[in-house]
Amino acid sequence: MDLSRRRFLQAAVLAAATAGATAACGGGGSGSSGSKDSKNLTLWYWSGGLSDKVVADAKKHFSDITLKTSVVGGDFKTKLLTGLRAAQSAPDITGIKGEDIASFLPNANRFVDLKTVGADKLVPEYLSWKLKQATTQDGKLIGFPIDIGPCATFYREDLFAKAGLPTDPAKVSAELATWDDYFKAGVELHKAVPKTFLVNNIGSVFTMVIGQGTRRFIDEDNKFIGDQDHIRTAWTTAVKPYTLGIDAKINDNTWNAAVSGGALGTEIGAAWHALDISNAAPGTKGKWRVASLPGGPSNLGGSFLAIPATSGNPDEAFKIISWILSPENQARGFTDAALFPTAPAAYKLPALTGGDPFFGGQKTIEIFGPAAEKIPAAFEAPADAAVSAPFYSELTSIEAKGKDPEAAWKDAVSQAKQIAQRQGVK
Amino acid sequence: MNGLNRKRVRGLSVHVILMLGVVVSVFPFYWIVVMATNTSQDIYSYPPKLWFGGNLLTNIQHLFDKMDFFGSLFNTVIVSVCTTLLVLFFDSLAAFAFAKYEFPGKKILFALLVSMYLLPTQLAIIPQYEIMVQLGWLGTLKALIVPAAANAFGIFWMRQYTSSGVPDELLDAARIEGAGFFRQYWHVVLPCVRPALAFLGIYTFIAAWNDYVLPLVMLVNPDRLTLQVALAQLYAGHSTDYSMVMAGVLLAVIPLVLVFTFFARGFIADATKGALR
Amino acid sequence: MSSSPVAGPAATGPSSGSDTAPVGRPVPDRPSGGPGRHGRRIRPVSAGARPGPPRRVTRYWPQYLAISPYYLLFSVFMFFPVIYTVYLAFQKWDGIGEMHFVGFQQFRFLWDDPVFWLSVRNTLVIWVLSTVPMLFLALVLAVLVNSTKRFTAFYRVALFIPSITSLVAIAIFFGAIFSNNFGLINAILRSVHVSAVPWMSNEWTIKLVIAALMTWQWTGYNAIIYLAGLQAIPSELYEAARMDGAGPVRIFFSITIPLLRPIILFTVVVSTVTGLQSFTEPQVLFGSEAATNPNSGGPGQAGLTTLLYFYHQAFDNNDFGYGAAIVWAFFLLILLIVLVNWRLVQRKERRP
Repeated sequence: MDLSRRRFLQAAVLAAATAGATAACGGGGSGSSGSKDSKNLTLWYWSGGLSDKVVADAKKHFSDITLKTSVVGGDFKTKLLTGLRAAQSAPDITGIKGEDIASFLPNANRFVDLKTVGADKLVPEYLSWKLKQATTQDGKLIGFPIDIGPCATFYREDLFAKAGLPTDPAKVSAELATWDDYFKAGVELHKAVPKTFLVNNIGSVFTMVIGQGTRRFIDEDNKFIGDQDHIRTAWTTAVKPYTLGIDAKINDNTWNAAVSGGALGTEIGAAWHALDISNAAPGTKGKWRVASLPGGPSNLGGSFLAIPATSGNPDEAFKIISWILSPENQARGFTDAALFPTAPAAYKLPALTGGDPFFGGQKTIEIFGPAAEKIPAAFEAPADAAVSAPFYSELTSIEAKGKDPEAAWKDAVSQAKQIAQRQGVK
Repeated sequence: MNGLNRKRVRGLSVHVILMLGVVVSVFPFYWIVVMATNTSQDIYSYPPKLWFGGNLLTNIQHLFDKMDFFGSLFNTVIVSVCTTLLVLFFDSLAAFAFAKYEFPGKKILFALLVSMYLLPTQLAIIPQYEIMVQLGWLGTLKALIVPAAANAFGIFWMRQYTSSGVPDELLDAARIEGAGFFRQYWHVVLPCVRPALAFLGIYTFIAAWNDYVLPLVMLVNPDRLTLQVALAQLYAGHSTDYSMVMAGVLLAVIPLVLVFTFFARGFIADATKGALR
Repeated sequence: MSSSPVAGPAATGPSSGSDTAPVGRPVPDRPSGGPGRHGRRIRPVSAGARPGPPRRVTRYWPQYLAISPYYLLFSVFMFFPVIYTVYLAFQKWDGIGEMHFVGFQQFRFLWDDPVFWLSVRNTLVIWVLSTVPMLFLALVLAVLVNSTKRFTAFYRVALFIPSITSLVAIAIFFGAIFSNNFGLINAILRSVHVSAVPWMSNEWTIKLVIAALMTWQWTGYNAIIYLAGLQAIPSELYEAARMDGAGPVRIFFSITIPLLRPIILFTVVVSTVTGLQSFTEPQVLFGSEAATNPNSGGPGQAGLTTLLYFYHQAFDNNDFGYGAAIVWAFFLLILLIVLVNWRLVQRKERRP
């Protein structure tokens, strides 16, 4: 390590210069310029959040704009929060996940009110209950809906056949209409194919049952209602597969291996979940089918596109958004990335009415369409996600430690109450 | 004869146990290569493949599709090199003042420096984050380089070395020739403390290269991440494709390990000294 | 500390400039210990005696300038933030809106927060599970390397390598080999007809995996430090003991351990401070999006360490006031544990 002094000094000066230069370049991002007619726009979304094909076409379509897209990994909400605070790094257009949208409403001033840049004309073409989720109490619209998450049961037809269960989607929907029917089928399935379980974890059941109701953890008066009957019922339902021994207890990254290895006979989830399954287990193509969710329709997730207030060109940004989310492109998004359209006009397009080869050519719209129409619109408070967290961690405690469900319920409620208090919920 | 045999057996068993330790130490690197050169299906299968496969290039191809590897590498190199050079300069300069000069407040200042040495960074990280927001540095590499540009450990270490490794005679001679503080530093101290700088440099470089917490909090823009954060996100988002992730791990780990083994002997000796002081 | 190749700068060869004299080993008239502190005081400084002593602070501007970068950076990025964290712990603040003074409310929440206490328990368990075997194995390895003369350089390098390896990379690696469904460890168990262990979903095995990771990374490092300490023990002591007929076990406990005590104390303090700060391990291991919340510390929150909980509250929930309360409470806890450790080792030392 022979470091001559001169070289050392040169290097140190260079280092200082580079540090300065990276800082200078840091300002090269779009948001910082202050002017609102930038031709360089950035778009952030997460892997699977938008159809990559539609995004690629958007770059071509808006030829006078340089649209730079970034697929953000990790926890998207955390990254976005940091991005919003870092003026130089903030995107011009960003995705917001459905479960996070409520927590952004109190900081609506960080976003452009989309009604001021042209959304007001488009509003009637989109599902009103979904738009409501992104609307503040004083009527500002901060997000434009990418997709909704009508839920269904994805099941392995081949494994159902082995267990002597019905295999035809209509029949499955009819015979597995309630949660108890569904669990009973699961017991038979597990008996016939011992390595196969019914649900990946009980948190997913809990999510589904909560989504079937119109009330969540906090009501419109900002009051904690997570200890009431509707949550308790969801909890009891969720614990059943655990006690019946048909819970695969997967709470880590081995879900992929479990799906491709046939350890899971069914998956309950939203329309977009189909993409997760086909990505994780391409080898099971043709073996899956879709049936109605036991216990009625439910919604899970469904995200938004928003324009941060620092955006370099809000008008152009919204043009891009409305192009990406036009009914035609939403239909393509459904085929490409299983994003269920938010513009009802898209439901009649061939992309949706056709069969899906991953599901053996089944016309999945026959299941998702009716489910989408009957989705119960629930009020979701900003602190909802934070308050619901202990319920999920206690459910995994049951699975991981064999914690007594009753004790787990008590702990979940008391923790949720405490978080509610911390978050300023009454 | 018997006694000699017993001694030999004992000597041999010492090496057997030590080799076991070495195998445990080194095994992960071997296994990372195995996973990075096979397909994900091979990794999932039973029995697992125990030997290298021929899939490395495909995996690297996938890796480059999923993440901006060279961008992250470039950022990491910038951060590590800038931090290292600034630390070497500032720390050795401050160490010289502490080792060879008296000035009012020196004792208190040095005691402060030593006592703050083990203060956990997390205690400061929220306000640091806010400071970076105010400075407009959040999301830039400056947010990582500047706070790390001088550190207590380096000054402490360099001071030890400077006080014994720089002969006063030389400083006196320089002073007689009219050299001031900074000229002394430049012409006398720097040449003398090079071995200590080498250690501090490698140490700082490794620490900056491997740092995760600060980049995790400060960096946000997907194209401006360091390797460690990019790697963690790659794993979080694509834990299905293990062979691809492992190719990333391999590329991120191997350069540093090679550099280290090159400098290892002297570095380890110094590292222990640093600890024992 | 006998073998230290880089100890003297003599090896660097002739350097440019005036210093042609071999710079190197401490000059003979200043033998050992801390020469910088005592004998040195007068000479270089009194150089200033030439123009007569106007003992004003401004005279020392080069020295103050030289040390200023550190203190400047320290005040801006460490000292002020640490104090500000105290202030924040008494506020409710989401990082964007306005701050509200809430008194001790955050600490009351903290006291009643079972998740906080769970995270403290997790952190302590992981710390014990990693530190105890780590330091024990390190001592064994160090004694073994010290007992032989062959391949020692190789052993040192090989044992040291884990400590310079990226923690993120190693966490991903451990996640892969301990995977429930396909990991190497379960494959080995299966090959000897033991049923697979769901490492990453059981409350205890999660902690074991994290502890194993930390043990793997730091055992070699501590071994090298112990080794340096062992080599500083004069061999006459051992010979004298052997003459008295003491066996190796007795020698180990009555000579090696007592003489190594300061170094053991050092390693205990360092592994306490670093071991209690585990964050990256669970954050990366359970960061996969398959889990409901990437920062929840895994199934049953069994891998939720206090710093991960802090990160989660501050940077996910943007509850900065609560985050500040968590991190301060935790810092005091670390301090307490270090002091207790210190007292324990010290007391043993006093015992004859």
